[in-house]
Amino acid sequence: MTQVLVQGLVFGLLAGGVYALMSSGMSMIFGVMRMVNLGHAAIMLTGSYIAVTLLQQLGVDPLLSIPIIVAAFLVVGALFERGVLGRFIGGDLALAVLVTLGVANILEGGQGVIWTSRFYTIRTGYSFNTFNLFGLYIPLIRIIAAAEAAVLLVALWLILSRTNLGRSIRATIQNRSVAQLVGVNVARVTMIAFAIGVAMAGAAGPLMGMLYTWYPDSHWLWGGKIVAIIILGGLSSLRGALLASMILGVAEQFVTLGIDVRWAPMVFYIFLLVVMLFRPQGLLGSVNRGLA
Amino acid sequence: MRLIRRWGPWLLLVICLALPVLVKQPAWLDMLQFTFMYAAMSVGWDIMGGYAGYPSIGHVGFFGMSSYVAGLLLVHFGVNIFASALLVGLFGSLVGAGLGFISLRTRGPAFLIVTLVFALTVQMLAENLNALTGGTSGLYLPLLDLPPDVVILPFYYAMLALTVLAVATSTFIRASRFGLGLLAIREDEGKAEGSGINTALYKILAFAVSVFFASVAGALHAQYLNYVDPDLAFEFIIGLNMVVMALVGSRATPWGGVLGAVIMFPISQLLVYTLPDKFSGQVPLVELGILLILIPMFLPDGIIKSLERWAERRRRRPRVPSTDTFAPAPVGAP
Repeated sequence: MTQVLVQGLVFGLLAGGVYALMSSGMSMIFGVMRMVNLGHAAIMLTGSYIAVTLLQQLGVDPLLSIPIIVAAFLVVGALFERGVLGRFIGGDLALAVLVTLGVANILEGGQGVIWTSRFYTIRTGYSFNTFNLFGLYIPLIRIIAAAEAAVLLVALWLILSRTNLGRSIRATIQNRSVAQLVGVNVARVTMIAFAIGVAMAGAAGPLMGMLYTWYPDSHWLWGGKIVAIIILGGLSSLRGALLASMILGVAEQFVTLGIDVRWAPMVFYIFLLVVMLFRPQGLLGSVNRGLA
Repeated sequence: MRLIRRWGPWLLLVICLALPVLVKQPAWLDMLQFTFMYAAMSVGWDIMGGYAGYPSIGHVGFFGMSSYVAGLLLVHFGVNIFASALLVGLFGSLVGAGLGFISLRTRGPAFLIVTLVFALTVQMLAENLNALTGGTSGLYLPLLDLPPDVVILPFYYAMLALTVLAVATSTFIRASRFGLGLLAIREDEGKAEGSGINTALYKILAFAVSVFFASVAGALHAQYLNYVDPDLAFEFIIGLNMVVMALVGSRATPWGGVLGAVIMFPISQLLVYTLPDKFSGQVPLVELGILLILIPMFLPDGIIKSLERWAERRRRRPRVPSTDTFAPAPVGAP
């Protein structure tokens, strides 16, 4: 029993780290744009596909493909915000959400054409190694994925807390018009924050791909998990997203170990509905943030 | 113009009623049947997504849930789906009201997320509750006891009736205080609330009405295929089609969804059948995705409203050049 509890806790926290990487980008995008990015999970899967292709064709280790993906996705994200999404800010945000839904569809359809609908996973030389921690055997890739996610999250935290850009992003999240008033170039900050969010989603792709199997349609499942996390965390609260990732990661592991892996995603949906009923602003969200 | 507005819909209805007498090919009737189905669902979606300005991406959850409810009623209790469809629709509305109660008391994106998660949840239930739903292998329904060349007719007329009901409901709502309240919510929810509208109640009611049509359509569709499974019943494309058709036609109009369905469904079918097999599975997804990006960018108001605005401008422009303005004399004229 204790064995199961400890295993659930450790595996859950490790998975939670990867969830945090997936959801922090979406949370930040929601913060600056007040818009749910429905393409987030499909963008992540694009990262997974790029990593698996680089590995199979050129033998690039998935961890090394992360910087490549981050660089590419920063550029693409910035261009997309400038060219398409940015137009809707201050206008009809419902349309912006539908645009991101369109992005999800195009990515899913494109992936279906290029990589077909078969299952993929990223297999490296160390995929089946385990790590012995006080008698508990933990797959090495779970630790690597959580560590990599931690590195990227710390980098994001450093950017947000120590740089002028980070201060501008946080100001824009808190109050867009006041940020503009005190001289923040909110249009540029929004573009950069969106690009960072997209890059974080892409960076989560290879890590997800090492731990799970996926196919183009999987992005709905992951999208459902990610939106549940950011609602539980409080939408634009990055700390809330981190906390919610850990809670849901552990809860999911307990359901997987105790009941059945098929019901694991249900944990996310039930948490979401309960939170909506009793604390609609989320764990660490403030009441009036969720406008628009 | 006024004549068209007054009698056009009735003329259209008579033509639609008479069409099966003239068109006998099942393929054409099948296409029309699906066009009506999408038209009804899209007009229904628009009541929430257009009037109230709260786009739902989870209507397909109600479509699929009703397919299962109606299918199970038929398999276990022998209830004919044409008899149960309206009740199943009302059940969908009830669930919709419950979901609205959870997600519509606050403003903002929570609703959108909850609708998405609702669709995923019901699909997962359908997949995993094997004993009840048959799991991934699906649920086979008894066939209708009709000769094959007329078996499509009940579906044709039922979907047509559903479309008529949807357009009538939407027209009625548009002209009512309720509809005005919904439009006010879309424009500025804070001000709407300030002027005494019970915004949460309005939104919940609108959502309940909105999902009714997707629910009835889902019930009928189950019998049309004689089969329900988690992938078919909850195919995301169905939900996307509703959204895109309403966008193409024009949001917040009773006819937008109808126009969108009439334009889009035949085109999608054509694309699926003409493109090579390698792509055809992905075509609807990519097509809808591209439209979801291009329409908001270049035609955000949809066809009907854009045409109306164009007609309005034309009507205001004087036919005869007015006499009090003269073109400057050409330079160098004697």
